[in-house]
Amino acid sequence: MSAALLSLTIPLATAMLLLLFRTRAGTVVIVANTASLVAAMLALDAVMTGAREQLSLGNWDAPLGIRFELGPLTAVLLVFTALIHLLVTIYAQASRHSKTRDTDFWPLSCLLHASLAALWLSRDLFNWYITLELLGLTAVAMIIISGPRSHLPALRYLLLSLAASLCYLLGVAFLYGRYGVLDIRMLAEVVVDDPGTRLAMLLLTLGLMLKAALWPLHQWLPAAHAAAPTAVSALLSALVVKGPLFILWMVWSTLAEPGFARQAGVLFAFAGIAALVSGGWAALRTPWLKVLVAYSTVAQLGYALLALGLLLYWQDPEMSIALWLFVLAHGLAKVSMFLGAGEMQATLGSRRVSALKGASQTMPLAMFAFAVAGGSLIGLPPSGGFIAKWVLLQPLLVEPSHWPWALGVLLGTLASAGYVFRVVTIAFNRADPSSPGHDPDTAAQWLAMLPALIVWAMALLSEPLILWFQEVGL
Amino acid sequence: MNAELLFDAALILLLLALAAATLHTRKLYTAIVLFIVFGLMLALTWARLGAVDLALAEAAIGAGLIGVMLLAAFGRSGPEAATRAPPAVLAASVLLCSLLLVLFAQGVWPLANNSAPVPELVNSHLAASGVSHPVTAVLLNFRAWDTLLELVVLLLALLGVRQLHSPNMNLPAAWPLLQAWSRLLAPLSIVIGGYLLWRGSHAPGGAFQAGAVLAAGAIVLRLAGLLPPLRWNWWPMRACVLGGVALFMTIAAAGYWLGSGWLDYPPGLGKTLITLIEIAATVSIAVSLSLLVVGDTREITP
Repeated sequence: MSAALLSLTIPLATAMLLLLFRTRAGTVVIVANTASLVAAMLALDAVMTGAREQLSLGNWDAPLGIRFELGPLTAVLLVFTALIHLLVTIYAQASRHSKTRDTDFWPLSCLLHASLAALWLSRDLFNWYITLELLGLTAVAMIIISGPRSHLPALRYLLLSLAASLCYLLGVAFLYGRYGVLDIRMLAEVVVDDPGTRLAMLLLTLGLMLKAALWPLHQWLPAAHAAAPTAVSALLSALVVKGPLFILWMVWSTLAEPGFARQAGVLFAFAGIAALVSGGWAALRTPWLKVLVAYSTVAQLGYALLALGLLLYWQDPEMSIALWLFVLAHGLAKVSMFLGAGEMQATLGSRRVSALKGASQTMPLAMFAFAVAGGSLIGLPPSGGFIAKWVLLQPLLVEPSHWPWALGVLLGTLASAGYVFRVVTIAFNRADPSSPGHDPDTAAQWLAMLPALIVWAMALLSEPLILWFQEVGL
Repeated sequence: MNAELLFDAALILLLLALAAATLHTRKLYTAIVLFIVFGLMLALTWARLGAVDLALAEAAIGAGLIGVMLLAAFGRSGPEAATRAPPAVLAASVLLCSLLLVLFAQGVWPLANNSAPVPELVNSHLAASGVSHPVTAVLLNFRAWDTLLELVVLLLALLGVRQLHSPNMNLPAAWPLLQAWSRLLAPLSIVIGGYLLWRGSHAPGGAFQAGAVLAAGAIVLRLAGLLPPLRWNWWPMRACVLGGVALFMTIAAAGYWLGSGWLDYPPGLGKTLITLIEIAATVSIAVSLSLLVVGDTREITP
């Protein structure tokens, strides 16, 4: 637990120091992030045996105090957060195009990191509300770094995020009024299936789905994520929407009675398939490059939603593993995709997809990063996305009565292949290439590729990870 | 009994009427004023429900500071376009709201007879917490982590507003009466803020309320032109804003790595540490809120 707390404290302290001294030095953040990553890895090492470490804050046991729990999944997510933040800050420091150079991006991204770490560790419904507030406010503050054009989408995001917070808080208030406890484990022991509890769960779900941009409450996401500076878009898509998803998964997998879970599971699963299809369709049609990548986030979150739905419908814990593998693979791939897309659109001087003509020739590295990351999103072997899809598909294919669900996965795969190949085909159209405004920045393109390479390497690491998750639970 | 019931019923009706009027009035300015009145009535409602801490916070922040912020935003906004929702939308929203109301009433109704275990637990551990007021004990000891994160939320609000790079408010030349009044009000706000802070350990009050009252004093002085511009790039200002979180984090981390646990105050030191945190938090809240409302937005790059 000590290492996990260190991984949370370091970014928070770094943010304070950066603000106090008004320095905008990226190197400080990179060094702090490396330290936080090492601490997170130590935390992961500590739970290797599957032991769950508990910490009662202030030594007050729940229900009086707040409980932290460091389990296998939390440790993996701490490493994931620190890794993504590190990769993005290195890019933001090195690239000419990240538009975050002389801004408050650095302290804000550290605060984002700290709030996510606090969210992964906490097991208290009300404490989660505060971490959600922190996440939403940081996200909005980071979006408006990119200037007045981002103000409108950022304001929409802020208002929706506040409405979602209130919805969530009302749900928490109902549960607290009914059972008198906020700790998720204590709540799981006393919860019963009655209309009041169902209403509370509905409110929690509504708030969390809005915050996580899960279909059909995703409309705010494409504009907001596309308007942000490139490095921020990567952080938002890879990390911010995963926070509410974690709480949603936690709430449904621990609090819902099997009967209620089964009913809701079908709805979640259908919403997931709808997200895959409609997000993919919108990504195919949009003329703007970053909006395309943002819609792909909407679509990919559909897999997570589908996995959550099937987890609840079949009460099959394997699906949780599929869900979190999707989250890890999507996070890494999406960082690469956003950074590659941002690098290309800044160098080519246009935000349109059609401006990428000949990019495979003029900016081969960034295009390769985009395509490699896209491969993982489609689920081509041997990438992280493929492994996640494999874990999801296995129980679907074993039982003939489950086959219809595989059709949903197939549709999703087709849609993602559609939008990735749409970009790739334009990039290979070398007849009339759009020439870059200036020399492409090779180092930045390599940095954009790095997360994509890691997600392909994930295929090699996944087997021990899956076996470990199966052995010790999440 | 009957007189009380009458008062409560009148209060509820007033609240509902004010809320409806705020939403549906034609002029933005009227809506803001109505919203401030709504905040005051809400504070009264909290006081009637016995939640004095909430009432104080609502009056100071909900009615006071948010009112000032809305007025400041109104001053910066351009001429308003008169928009009226079409009747169909209005009817649909009325229908939706009544449905929601029925649904929520069903959810709330069974809660009336529930007895929660936590208030008793809080009371039984009150002696060990270092303070004698249950709300302060929860905020600064039992669930101090929530409060720490709330201070970060306030810091983030300030940082977020700074990213907008909005132009400075053009303050009109102060009116002599305002100047004379603010000379009277400022010392009062310090006395009341200090009193609320001191009271927090044993009765309703505390850092958030005290900070809001102090900020109100600072804002009045600034509007009257009696304070120099409040600048983020003057380092003591930043130190004040960050002080609350920094001290809180230091105590938490020191407790974990040197003492007995994260945010666990050493026995006997509870009251001292809580008071220190409350003072730092009050300063940090007061300065943050003042910067949010009347902060100077011109930037001198470091």
